[in-house]
Amino acid sequence: MSSDGKLLTADERHMLEHSILVRHRLEEQFENLEQQHFTGTSAMWVFLATEVMFFGAIFLALAVYRYKYPLEFEKASERLEWIIGGTNTIVLLLSSFTIVMAVHSAQLGESKKIARFLAITAALGFLFLIFKGIEYYLDYRENLIPGWRFDPGEWLGPDKLQNAQQVGHVKLFLIFYWVMTLIHGLHVLIGIVAVLIIMALAARKHFSPVYYTPVEALALYWHFVDIVWIFLLPMLYLLGTHTHFGF
Amino acid sequence: MSLEPVVSVRTYALVLLALILLTFLTVGISFIHLSGGWHITFGLLIGVVKASLVALFFMHLLHSPRLSWLIVFLALVWLLLLFALTLADYFTRELIPFMPGH
Repeated sequence: MSSDGKLLTADERHMLEHSILVRHRLEEQFENLEQQHFTGTSAMWVFLATEVMFFGAIFLALAVYRYKYPLEFEKASERLEWIIGGTNTIVLLLSSFTIVMAVHSAQLGESKKIARFLAITAALGFLFLIFKGIEYYLDYRENLIPGWRFDPGEWLGPDKLQNAQQVGHVKLFLIFYWVMTLIHGLHVLIGIVAVLIIMALAARKHFSPVYYTPVEALALYWHFVDIVWIFLLPMLYLLGTHTHFGF
Repeated sequence: MSLEPVVSVRTYALVLLALILLTFLTVGISFIHLSGGWHITFGLLIGVVKASLVALFFMHLLHSPRLSWLIVFLALVWLLLLFALTLADYFTRELIPFMPGH
Protein backbone atom coordinates (compact mmCIF):
# COMPACT_ATOMS: atom_id res chain seq x y z
CA MET A 1 0.00 0.00 0.00
CA SER A 2 1.31 3.45 -0.87
CA SER A 3 1.57 6.39 1.47
CA ASP A 4 -1.61 8.10 0.21
CA GLY A 5 -3.70 5.05 1.14
CA LYS A 6 -4.16 3.67 -2.38
CA LEU A 7 -3.42 0.03 -3.13
CA LEU A 8 -0.84 0.76 -5.84
CA THR A 9 1.67 3.51 -6.41
CA ALA A 10 1.55 5.38 -9.73
CA ASP A 11 4.55 3.40 -10.96
CA GLU A 12 3.01 0.08 -9.97
CA ARG A 13 -0.28 1.02 -11.62
CA HIS A 14 1.58 2.02 -14.78
CA MET A 15 3.44 -1.31 -14.87
CA LEU A 16 0.23 -3.26 -14.31
CA GLU A 17 -1.57 -1.39 -17.10
CA HIS A 18 1.40 -1.97 -19.33
CA SER A 19 1.44 -5.73 -18.64
CA ILE A 20 -2.34 -5.91 -19.23
CA LEU A 21 -1.80 -4.13 -22.54
CA VAL A 22 0.97 -6.58 -23.44
CA ARG A 23 -1.12 -9.60 -22.45
CA HIS A 24 -4.07 -8.21 -24.40
CA ARG A 25 -2.01 -7.81 -27.58
CA LEU A 26 0.19 -10.91 -27.34
CA GLU A 27 -1.32 -13.93 -29.02
CA GLU A 28 -0.67 -17.17 -27.20
CA GLN A 29 1.45 -18.86 -29.87
CA PHE A 30 4.17 -16.19 -29.51
CA GLU A 31 6.92 -15.88 -26.93
CA ASN A 32 6.85 -12.09 -26.81
CA LEU A 33 5.61 -9.03 -28.71
CA GLU A 34 8.84 -8.65 -30.62
CA GLN A 35 8.60 -12.19 -32.00
CA GLN A 36 4.94 -11.58 -32.88
CA HIS A 37 5.87 -8.35 -34.67
CA PHE A 38 8.59 -9.90 -36.81
CA THR A 39 6.41 -12.92 -37.62
CA GLY A 40 3.81 -10.50 -38.97
CA THR A 41 6.25 -8.40 -40.99
CA SER A 42 8.02 -11.53 -42.32
CA ALA A 43 4.67 -12.81 -43.59
CA MET A 44 4.21 -9.53 -45.49
CA TRP A 45 7.73 -9.90 -46.93
CA VAL A 46 6.83 -13.43 -48.15
CA PHE A 47 3.69 -12.05 -49.80
CA LEU A 48 5.78 -9.32 -51.44
CA ALA A 49 8.19 -12.03 -52.70
CA THR A 50 5.24 -13.61 -54.54
CA GLU A 51 4.37 -10.16 -55.90
CA VAL A 52 7.96 -9.84 -57.16
CA MET A 53 7.39 -13.02 -59.22
CA PHE A 54 3.99 -11.76 -60.43
CA PHE A 55 5.28 -8.40 -61.67
CA GLY A 56 8.67 -9.90 -62.60
CA ALA A 57 7.10 -12.15 -65.23
CA ILE A 58 5.38 -9.19 -66.94
CA PHE A 59 8.55 -7.06 -66.76
CA LEU A 60 10.48 -9.96 -68.31
CA ALA A 61 8.02 -10.27 -71.19
CA LEU A 62 8.30 -6.50 -71.79
CA ALA A 63 12.12 -6.77 -71.74
CA VAL A 64 12.11 -9.62 -74.28
CA TYR A 65 9.89 -7.72 -76.74
CA ARG A 66 11.79 -4.48 -76.16
CA TYR A 67 14.89 -6.46 -77.21
CA LYS A 68 13.15 -7.89 -80.29
CA TYR A 69 11.44 -4.70 -81.51
CA PRO A 70 13.57 -1.78 -80.18
CA LEU A 71 12.55 0.77 -82.84
CA GLU A 72 8.79 0.27 -82.56
CA PHE A 73 8.87 0.18 -78.74
CA GLU A 74 10.89 3.42 -78.59
CA LYS A 75 8.54 5.16 -81.04
CA ALA A 76 5.49 4.04 -79.05
CA SER A 77 7.12 4.95 -75.70
CA GLU A 78 7.72 8.53 -76.92
CA ARG A 79 3.95 8.98 -77.38
CA LEU A 80 3.18 8.28 -73.70
CA GLU A 81 2.59 11.18 -71.29
CA TRP A 82 5.96 11.16 -69.55
CA ILE A 83 5.16 14.39 -67.65
CA ILE A 84 2.23 12.69 -65.92
CA GLY A 85 4.28 9.52 -65.45
CA GLY A 86 7.11 11.52 -63.84
CA THR A 87 4.75 13.60 -61.69
CA ASN A 88 3.05 10.43 -60.47
CA THR A 89 6.48 9.07 -59.48
CA ILE A 90 6.96 12.10 -57.22
CA VAL A 91 3.41 11.67 -55.83
CA LEU A 92 4.09 8.03 -54.90
CA LEU A 93 7.50 8.86 -53.39
CA LEU A 94 5.85 11.53 -51.21
CA SER A 95 3.20 9.01 -50.15
CA SER A 96 5.96 6.54 -49.20
CA PHE A 97 7.42 9.25 -47.00
CA THR A 98 4.06 10.02 -45.33
CA ILE A 99 3.31 6.34 -44.62
CA VAL A 100 6.76 5.80 -43.10
CA MET A 101 5.99 8.83 -40.92
CA ALA A 102 2.79 7.05 -39.83
CA VAL A 103 4.94 4.08 -38.72
CA HIS A 104 7.31 6.52 -37.01
CA SER A 105 4.37 8.07 -35.12
CA ALA A 106 3.18 4.60 -34.11
CA GLN A 107 6.63 3.81 -32.69
CA LEU A 108 6.39 6.98 -30.61
CA GLY A 109 2.80 6.24 -29.57
CA GLU A 110 1.23 9.29 -31.23
CA SER A 111 -2.13 7.90 -32.38
CA LYS A 112 -3.49 11.14 -33.82
CA LYS A 113 -0.40 11.59 -35.96
CA ILE A 114 -0.70 7.99 -37.29
CA ALA A 115 -4.23 8.75 -38.50
CA ARG A 116 -3.17 12.11 -39.94
CA PHE A 117 -0.21 10.72 -41.89
CA LEU A 118 -2.33 7.82 -43.17
CA ALA A 119 -4.98 10.33 -44.33
CA ILE A 120 -2.33 12.23 -46.31
CA THR A 121 -1.06 8.91 -47.74
CA ALA A 122 -4.56 7.94 -48.90
CA ALA A 123 -5.04 11.43 -50.39
CA LEU A 124 -1.75 11.11 -52.33
CA GLY A 125 -2.88 7.67 -53.53
CA PHE A 126 -6.12 9.25 -54.81
CA LEU A 127 -4.11 12.02 -56.48
CA PHE A 128 -2.04 9.34 -58.25
CA LEU A 129 -5.24 7.71 -59.55
CA ILE A 130 -6.68 11.08 -60.66
CA PHE A 131 -3.50 11.85 -62.64
CA LYS A 132 -3.68 8.32 -64.07
CA GLY A 133 -7.29 8.97 -65.12
CA ILE A 134 -6.29 12.23 -66.85
CA GLU A 135 -3.47 10.35 -68.58
CA TYR A 136 -5.84 7.61 -69.75
CA TYR A 137 -8.17 10.28 -71.16
CA LEU A 138 -5.27 11.89 -73.06
CA ASP A 139 -4.30 8.41 -74.37
CA TYR A 140 -7.91 8.03 -75.54
CA ARG A 141 -7.76 11.35 -77.39
CA GLU A 142 -4.33 10.46 -78.84
CA ASN A 143 -5.59 7.14 -80.27
CA LEU A 144 -3.37 5.00 -78.09
CA ILE A 145 -5.86 2.28 -77.19
CA PRO A 146 -5.38 -0.81 -79.39
CA GLY A 147 -8.63 -2.47 -80.37
CA TRP A 148 -10.73 0.59 -79.55
CA ARG A 149 -9.04 3.90 -80.38
CA PHE A 150 -6.08 3.23 -82.64
CA ASP A 151 -5.23 4.51 -86.13
CA PRO A 152 -2.54 2.41 -87.89
CA GLY A 153 -2.23 5.09 -90.60
CA GLU A 154 -0.71 7.74 -88.31
CA TRP A 155 2.20 5.41 -87.48
CA LEU A 156 3.16 4.81 -91.14
CA GLY A 157 5.20 7.05 -93.45
CA PRO A 158 8.72 8.34 -94.09
CA ASP A 159 10.65 8.82 -90.80
CA LYS A 160 7.98 6.67 -89.23
CA LEU A 161 7.24 2.95 -89.47
CA GLN A 162 7.30 1.11 -92.77
CA ASN A 163 4.76 -1.70 -92.62
CA ALA A 164 1.73 -3.13 -90.84
CA GLN A 165 3.83 -5.69 -89.00
CA GLN A 166 5.77 -2.91 -87.26
CA VAL A 167 2.50 -1.18 -86.35
CA GLY A 168 1.49 -4.48 -84.76
CA HIS A 169 4.57 -4.23 -82.52
CA VAL A 170 3.49 -0.72 -81.50
CA LYS A 171 0.15 -2.21 -80.48
CA LEU A 172 2.02 -4.87 -78.49
CA PHE A 173 3.88 -2.18 -76.54
CA LEU A 174 0.64 -0.31 -75.85
CA ILE A 175 -0.98 -3.51 -74.58
CA PHE A 176 1.95 -3.87 -72.14
CA TYR A 177 1.42 -0.25 -71.11
CA TRP A 178 -2.29 -0.74 -70.44
CA VAL A 179 -2.02 -4.10 -68.66
CA MET A 180 0.91 -3.04 -66.44
CA THR A 181 -0.47 0.37 -65.44
CA LEU A 182 -3.96 -1.06 -64.81
CA ILE A 183 -2.60 -3.88 -62.61
CA HIS A 184 -0.42 -1.36 -60.78
CA GLY A 185 -3.38 1.03 -60.42
CA LEU A 186 -5.43 -1.81 -58.92
CA HIS A 187 -2.67 -2.33 -56.35
CA VAL A 188 -2.80 1.39 -55.49
CA LEU A 189 -6.60 1.21 -55.13
CA ILE A 190 -6.38 -1.82 -52.80
CA GLY A 191 -3.65 0.03 -50.87
CA ILE A 192 -5.89 3.09 -50.41
CA VAL A 193 -8.70 0.91 -48.98
CA ALA A 194 -6.24 -0.77 -46.59
CA VAL A 195 -4.80 2.61 -45.54
CA LEU A 196 -8.31 3.90 -44.75
CA ILE A 197 -9.09 0.82 -42.62
CA ILE A 198 -5.85 1.13 -40.62
CA MET A 199 -6.48 4.89 -40.34
CA ALA A 200 -9.89 4.22 -38.73
CA LEU A 201 -8.25 1.81 -36.25
CA ALA A 202 -5.50 4.33 -35.46
CA ALA A 203 -8.10 7.03 -34.80
CA ARG A 204 -9.64 4.70 -32.18
CA LYS A 205 -6.20 4.36 -30.51
CA HIS A 206 -5.82 0.75 -31.58
CA PHE A 207 -2.01 0.98 -31.87
CA SER A 208 0.79 1.64 -29.39
CA PRO A 209 4.60 1.47 -29.37
CA VAL A 210 4.35 -2.20 -28.30
CA TYR A 211 1.76 -3.08 -30.95
CA TYR A 212 1.80 -1.48 -34.42
CA THR A 213 2.47 -4.48 -36.68
CA PRO A 214 -0.52 -3.77 -39.01
CA VAL A 215 0.77 -0.22 -39.65
CA GLU A 216 4.25 -1.53 -40.49
CA ALA A 217 2.91 -4.37 -42.69
CA LEU A 218 0.63 -1.94 -44.56
CA ALA A 219 3.60 0.40 -45.08
CA LEU A 220 5.67 -2.49 -46.49
CA TYR A 221 2.93 -3.19 -49.07
CA TRP A 222 2.63 0.50 -49.96
CA HIS A 223 6.39 0.86 -50.45
CA PHE A 224 6.41 -2.21 -52.69
CA VAL A 225 3.74 -0.69 -54.94
CA ASP A 226 5.95 2.42 -55.07
CA ILE A 227 8.96 0.29 -56.10
CA VAL A 228 6.95 -1.28 -58.95
CA TRP A 229 6.19 2.22 -60.25
CA ILE A 230 9.88 3.18 -59.90
CA PHE A 231 10.60 0.47 -62.52
CA LEU A 232 7.52 1.15 -64.65
CA LEU A 233 8.69 4.73 -65.25
CA PRO A 234 11.87 3.85 -67.23
CA MET A 235 10.44 0.63 -68.72
CA LEU A 236 7.34 2.30 -70.21
CA TYR A 237 7.85 6.07 -70.43
CA LEU A 238 11.60 6.52 -70.94
CA LEU A 239 12.54 3.89 -73.53
CA GLY A 240 13.54 6.33 -76.27
CA THR A 241 15.03 9.83 -76.53
CA HIS A 242 12.53 12.61 -75.82
CA THR A 243 12.85 15.42 -78.35
CA HIS A 244 9.83 17.55 -77.48
CA PHE A 245 8.65 19.02 -74.21
CA GLY A 246 4.91 19.03 -73.59
CA PHE A 247 1.74 17.05 -74.08
CA MET B 1 10.01 1.71 -26.05
CA SER B 2 9.30 0.48 -29.54
CA LEU B 3 9.62 -2.96 -31.13
CA GLU B 4 12.15 -1.70 -33.67
CA PRO B 5 14.87 0.96 -33.55
CA VAL B 6 13.31 4.38 -34.21
CA VAL B 7 14.86 6.03 -37.27
CA SER B 8 15.06 9.83 -37.23
CA VAL B 9 12.73 11.96 -39.36
CA ARG B 10 15.84 13.63 -40.77
CA THR B 11 16.98 10.31 -42.29
CA TYR B 12 13.57 9.73 -43.90
CA ALA B 13 13.55 13.29 -45.29
CA LEU B 14 17.04 12.90 -46.77
CA VAL B 15 16.05 9.59 -48.42
CA LEU B 16 12.94 11.26 -49.88
CA LEU B 17 15.09 14.11 -51.24
CA ALA B 18 17.52 11.63 -52.82
CA LEU B 19 14.62 9.71 -54.41
CA ILE B 20 13.12 12.88 -55.91
CA LEU B 21 16.51 14.03 -57.26
CA LEU B 22 17.07 10.59 -58.83
CA THR B 23 13.62 10.84 -60.47
CA PHE B 24 14.61 14.18 -62.07
CA LEU B 25 17.91 12.60 -63.15
CA THR B 26 16.23 9.62 -64.81
CA VAL B 27 13.74 11.84 -66.65
CA GLY B 28 16.57 14.24 -67.58
CA ILE B 29 18.62 11.45 -69.15
CA SER B 30 15.72 10.68 -71.50
CA PHE B 31 16.40 14.04 -73.20
CA ILE B 32 20.01 13.16 -74.01
CA HIS B 33 20.37 11.44 -77.35
CA LEU B 34 21.57 7.91 -76.64
CA SER B 35 21.48 5.00 -79.03
CA GLY B 36 20.92 1.31 -78.53
CA GLY B 37 19.88 0.09 -75.13
CA TRP B 38 21.51 2.88 -73.09
CA HIS B 39 18.27 4.59 -72.12
CA ILE B 40 16.87 1.42 -70.61
CA THR B 41 20.25 0.61 -69.01
CA PHE B 42 20.50 3.96 -67.20
CA GLY B 43 16.79 3.87 -66.38
CA LEU B 44 17.05 0.46 -64.74
CA LEU B 45 20.32 1.30 -62.92
CA ILE B 46 18.75 4.40 -61.35
CA GLY B 47 15.64 2.32 -60.65
CA VAL B 48 17.72 -0.24 -58.73
CA VAL B 49 19.33 2.53 -56.65
CA LYS B 50 15.91 4.06 -55.88
CA ALA B 51 14.36 0.69 -55.03
CA SER B 52 17.30 -0.10 -52.71
CA LEU B 53 16.85 3.22 -50.89
CA VAL B 54 13.13 2.52 -50.42
CA ALA B 55 13.76 -1.05 -49.21
CA LEU B 56 16.67 -0.26 -46.86
CA PHE B 57 15.31 2.89 -45.22
CA PHE B 58 11.53 3.15 -45.76
CA MET B 59 10.93 -0.61 -45.44
CA HIS B 60 13.39 -0.78 -42.50
CA LEU B 61 15.37 -3.63 -44.06
CA LEU B 62 18.51 -2.08 -42.57
CA HIS B 63 17.22 -2.81 -39.05
CA SER B 64 15.28 -5.99 -39.86
CA PRO B 65 16.19 -9.48 -38.64
CA ARG B 66 18.11 -11.82 -40.91
CA LEU B 67 14.91 -13.66 -41.77
CA SER B 68 13.61 -10.61 -43.70
CA TRP B 69 16.94 -10.35 -45.52
CA LEU B 70 16.70 -14.03 -46.43
CA ILE B 71 13.20 -13.61 -47.90
CA VAL B 72 14.30 -10.60 -49.96
CA PHE B 73 17.45 -12.44 -51.06
CA LEU B 74 15.42 -15.50 -52.16
CA ALA B 75 12.92 -13.31 -54.04
CA LEU B 76 15.82 -11.68 -55.92
CA VAL B 77 17.49 -15.06 -56.65
CA TRP B 78 14.23 -16.37 -58.14
CA LEU B 79 13.82 -13.17 -60.17
CA LEU B 80 17.41 -13.48 -61.40
CA LEU B 81 16.82 -17.11 -62.45
CA LEU B 82 13.66 -16.09 -64.30
CA PHE B 83 15.44 -13.28 -66.17
CA ALA B 84 18.82 -14.95 -66.72
CA LEU B 85 17.53 -18.23 -68.14
CA THR B 86 14.88 -16.61 -70.35
CA LEU B 87 17.09 -13.82 -71.68
CA ALA B 88 19.99 -16.26 -72.22
CA ASP B 89 17.68 -17.91 -74.75
CA TYR B 90 16.38 -14.78 -76.51
CA PHE B 91 19.74 -12.92 -76.56
CA THR B 92 21.54 -15.86 -78.23
CA ARG B 93 18.96 -16.94 -80.81
CA GLU B 94 20.57 -15.01 -83.67
CA LEU B 95 24.11 -16.15 -82.86
CA ILE B 96 23.66 -19.50 -84.56
CA PRO B 97 22.33 -19.28 -88.15
CA PHE B 98 19.13 -21.15 -88.88
CA MET B 99 20.07 -24.17 -91.02
CA PRO B 100 17.14 -26.41 -91.91
CA GLY B 101 18.07 -30.04 -92.48
CA HIS B 102 21.02 -30.14 -90.10
